[in-house]
Amino acid sequence: MSEPVHALSEPFELQPIHPPPKSFLRRWVFSTDHKVIARQFLWAGLLFLLLGGLLAMLIRWQWAYPGEKVPAVLGGFLFRESGGVIGPANYQTLFTSHGLIMIFFAITPILIGAFGNFLIPLQIGARDMAFPKLNMLSFWTFALSQVLVLLSFQARLGPAGAGWTTYPPLSTSVGTPGAGQSLMVAAIFVTGVATIMGSINYVTTVIRLRAPGMTYMRLPLAVWGLWLTAILNVLFVPVLGSAALLLFLDRNFGTQFFIAGAAAVRGGGDPILFQHLFWIFGHPEVYILILPAWGVVGDLVSFFARKPAFWYRGTVWSMVTVTVMSAIVYGHHMYMTGMNPLLGKGFMALTLLISVPAMVLFIDWLLTLWQGSIRTTVPMLFTLGVIFVFGLGGLTGLFLGDISLDLYLHDTMFVVGHFHLTMAAASFLASFAAIYFWFPKMFGKQLDQRLGKAHFWISVVGITLVFGGQLVAGYAGQQRRLYDPFQYQFLAHLRGLNRWTSYFAFTLAAGQLLFVWNWFATLFGKGRPAGENPWQVGTLEWTNAATPPAHHNYDVIPTVLHGPHEFADPAVRAALGRDWLGQAERAPGPREASR
Amino acid sequence: MTAATRATPGVATIARLPTSRHAFTAYLGMVVFLSSWTMMFAGFFFAYALVRSHAPVWPPADQPALPLLAPGINTLVALAGSAALVLALRDMRRGERARPARWLGVAALLGATFLALQAAVWVSLWDAGLRPDGGPYASVFYGLTGIHALHVLVGVVALGALALMLRPGPGRTGELRVRLWGMYWHFVAAVWVGLYLAVYLA
Amino acid sequence: MRAPRLVVGALVLAAAFAARAAEPGFGLPHDASLDGHRVDELIHFTIWATGILFAVMVVWMLVAVFRHGPSHAPSPARGDDRRSAIGVLALAAVVFLVVDGNLFFHSVSDLDRHFWNYAVAEQSPGAVLIELNAHQWAWDLRYAGPDGQFNTADDVVSLNDLRVPVDAPVVLQITSTDVLHSLYLPNFRVKQDAVPGSVTRLWFQAKETGVFEMGCAQHCGPNHYKMRGVLTVLPRAEYDAWLASASADGRRGWDPDDASAHWGWAWRRTEP
Repeated sequence: MSEPVHALSEPFELQPIHPPPKSFLRRWVFSTDHKVIARQFLWAGLLFLLLGGLLAMLIRWQWAYPGEKVPAVLGGFLFRESGGVIGPANYQTLFTSHGLIMIFFAITPILIGAFGNFLIPLQIGARDMAFPKLNMLSFWTFALSQVLVLLSFQARLGPAGAGWTTYPPLSTSVGTPGAGQSLMVAAIFVTGVATIMGSINYVTTVIRLRAPGMTYMRLPLAVWGLWLTAILNVLFVPVLGSAALLLFLDRNFGTQFFIAGAAAVRGGGDPILFQHLFWIFGHPEVYILILPAWGVVGDLVSFFARKPAFWYRGTVWSMVTVTVMSAIVYGHHMYMTGMNPLLGKGFMALTLLISVPAMVLFIDWLLTLWQGSIRTTVPMLFTLGVIFVFGLGGLTGLFLGDISLDLYLHDTMFVVGHFHLTMAAASFLASFAAIYFWFPKMFGKQLDQRLGKAHFWISVVGITLVFGGQLVAGYAGQQRRLYDPFQYQFLAHLRGLNRWTSYFAFTLAAGQLLFVWNWFATLFGKGRPAGENPWQVGTLEWTNAATPPAHHNYDVIPTVLHGPHEFADPAVRAALGRDWLGQAERAPGPREASR
Repeated sequence: MTAATRATPGVATIARLPTSRHAFTAYLGMVVFLSSWTMMFAGFFFAYALVRSHAPVWPPADQPALPLLAPGINTLVALAGSAALVLALRDMRRGERARPARWLGVAALLGATFLALQAAVWVSLWDAGLRPDGGPYASVFYGLTGIHALHVLVGVVALGALALMLRPGPGRTGELRVRLWGMYWHFVAAVWVGLYLAVYLA
Repeated sequence: MRAPRLVVGALVLAAAFAARAAEPGFGLPHDASLDGHRVDELIHFTIWATGILFAVMVVWMLVAVFRHGPSHAPSPARGDDRRSAIGVLALAAVVFLVVDGNLFFHSVSDLDRHFWNYAVAEQSPGAVLIELNAHQWAWDLRYAGPDGQFNTADDVVSLNDLRVPVDAPVVLQITSTDVLHSLYLPNFRVKQDAVPGSVTRLWFQAKETGVFEMGCAQHCGPNHYKMRGVLTVLPRAEYDAWLASASADGRRGWDPDDASAHWGWAWRRTEP
């Protein structure tokens, strides 16, 4: 199916080339250049990833050595009042802020803020986003939300402590009084605003600014993932906003949307209402966090197997199906709230059904690998790692989707292992696949590949052992969010398991230092220069843009002739001496290849 | 992908989609933005529906009744504001110089009237004993109307600023801005109609 | 550099199956309930099914990486023909029907006939009805006493001490007065949230006597971890004797003016 080539002048009129800004503030601080904004999100996200990771290590310390002093200067600094010991109140802050920070202030800015911003205009053949100023505002709004998080830690009555899920009544002023929780709720609202701003840009840009010939079915899968994520963000982050706003009203203006029980006046509100609103956002949110990862995986398996992505259309339609179904499965987070059994069974059926498109994705990836010519580069290793951990994590979802199993497994460490494998580990590994893959294009240098491989192995083995260990603990019945699980006799024998899981976690964390070293040494040291297209792939950012790309991305807006996975074509090999064809490159031979 | 252009005169001046590619992109962005805002208000209406379905009796027996006249007038005020904006846009397309700014000013004033009336309703209910901490009924009322009023305020400020900006005469960008803020206003008015029906009348 | 993948794969497979192993260290808690074995059986079926799927996937990936490496000539297959599409969809459908289908039907059947059939449980002869009020950070329990009415002078009220007879359905109605909690009985494989402003339900039947634990499974504040109760299953005669003497104690200690002690409610009958 070929598309008529548009007159080259049209996109020019839409995207004139502006000269790059001169002042420091306009170039690096209040930049409207999507590539600069991408780097801002990347730094901000990586910083909070470190913070979130530190919080996780403190949680694991508490589970390994309940009630013991956190070692070295860290304990003395963080828990001064209690002599370095993590107390129960501090502990709830740890797991609350760990979850919120990792989801909203680490993975979201890295995968969606940074890679969304960097890749979308470049990969669709545009000069920038549709609304560059809005883009700039979205970063600074996000930065403000990060500041609010940090401020919430200073509150006199303590920071937020009701879990990342912020369920009322515990999260109302009845359960958690003071400015800390309110500031955290405000931070969530503000980061939601930033996300919506960014997502408006992503959705509109993909619709409006694709280069001539870049049909939807020629988009790189990374763009599909990011675009579908943006659509979900646009639709469902506002629902979180409504829940956060109503909670804010309950906390500060005496309203009673969620307050019930002894503190309620005249019948009271409904705490479960919050759960409905939260999970109508929350379930799409997990797909928001994974769709970009799936997209990156879909592209990279093809790139490094040197084979077309198997059944590209099927992959796209599976991602779309998951997107469409994402909100209607939300009730599986609420099976134990006393909901109507018929409603519960409906949610169970839909939850099991949503595994079908996910299976199609996996089969497509596995068939892309099969009969390929696989190069185990660092990005490819991380990509295989994503498939591995998401496979494991996704399968554990089958347990939790059944109500009769959830009777036992709900709110145990099995849930924690499940969502860490699917949401955290998969996005984490995909983020690094993306970083190692696009680092050369972003910065013009190559990260050290040996350090990268070591980073990969420690990460994937560590992840498997840590979160696998959590699955085992949950299977044995250990609840989540327990300051000291060993108050329960039926869990006393799990001390060893928890301690070893913590050791693996500390190792996993230490392994990340390999990346930190690699990152700083390459960026600020000499660093190996990267070629124009070191991975030898055909997407537009590698074939038509400089390294790093110019301010205006493309001197000439390319005209796209093929999809992004043109590999293994003997005619190309014969004519051009390589196994790949660029998206804007004319195919050799008399007939114009147009897929 | 070409922008839709309907050449039918008369009706076209109201229903026509933006003609330039750039304007269509802005229009699409606004549609996406308003979808977000619709979902947020959908969350609020969902909350209202759930709270109300759990309550044994609605409104609760001891709560002061909500007035119908003043909010009803507000509905007309909001719709009149929408009409003023449609007229502003029509005049801009016709090339009128001074009238668009005047229509915008009218719309802004109508918005301010809306807020004043709403404030009056709140004051009278507050005096009658309906307070935000008076339970779910009061929470729904003050919460939803309050959040909506904040959006009206944003609209009033924007329209007022636009009215002042356009006084020397409209230009290309002016038309786009009026169109986009017009969409915002129509959205806020539509939410109000929903609120009036669901909270006051029902 | 590729050999370690085998190690990782093997490690994970081992972990997946170890969970199912008879190793006492990490097994399921002792099952003292009539119906808990259904949960255990379904969990084990799911471990087998998902374990096999995962193993197939890992082996597939390992073979691909080893046998179809850089020196292997890649196939130009795109998989976008009808045959391939049907093949992929068929495979997904088969897995779905076999694994998910089994899970769904067993789960629904278990809920309808064993875990959520409250009406049947309540109306069984010898059923024990108990009201539970969860609060920060303990479990208040109330038995109706000989008069069969809750919130009367002969009620037995206890703190963190749930005593039940063996081989009889125990039906609990649950609420909370402050924040969300969740009653969790690991040795009976059941839990249910305690929601302020509503009454939720849970039922179980013990098949052996003994002392077991009750836990809280919903974060409820700093002392969530300490919200532990004791569940004692007694022979019927001992239970009846305890109930009678506790009820007499309750009647003696009854204070009609202590409103906060009268937190019970009229039992909400479940329609069959």
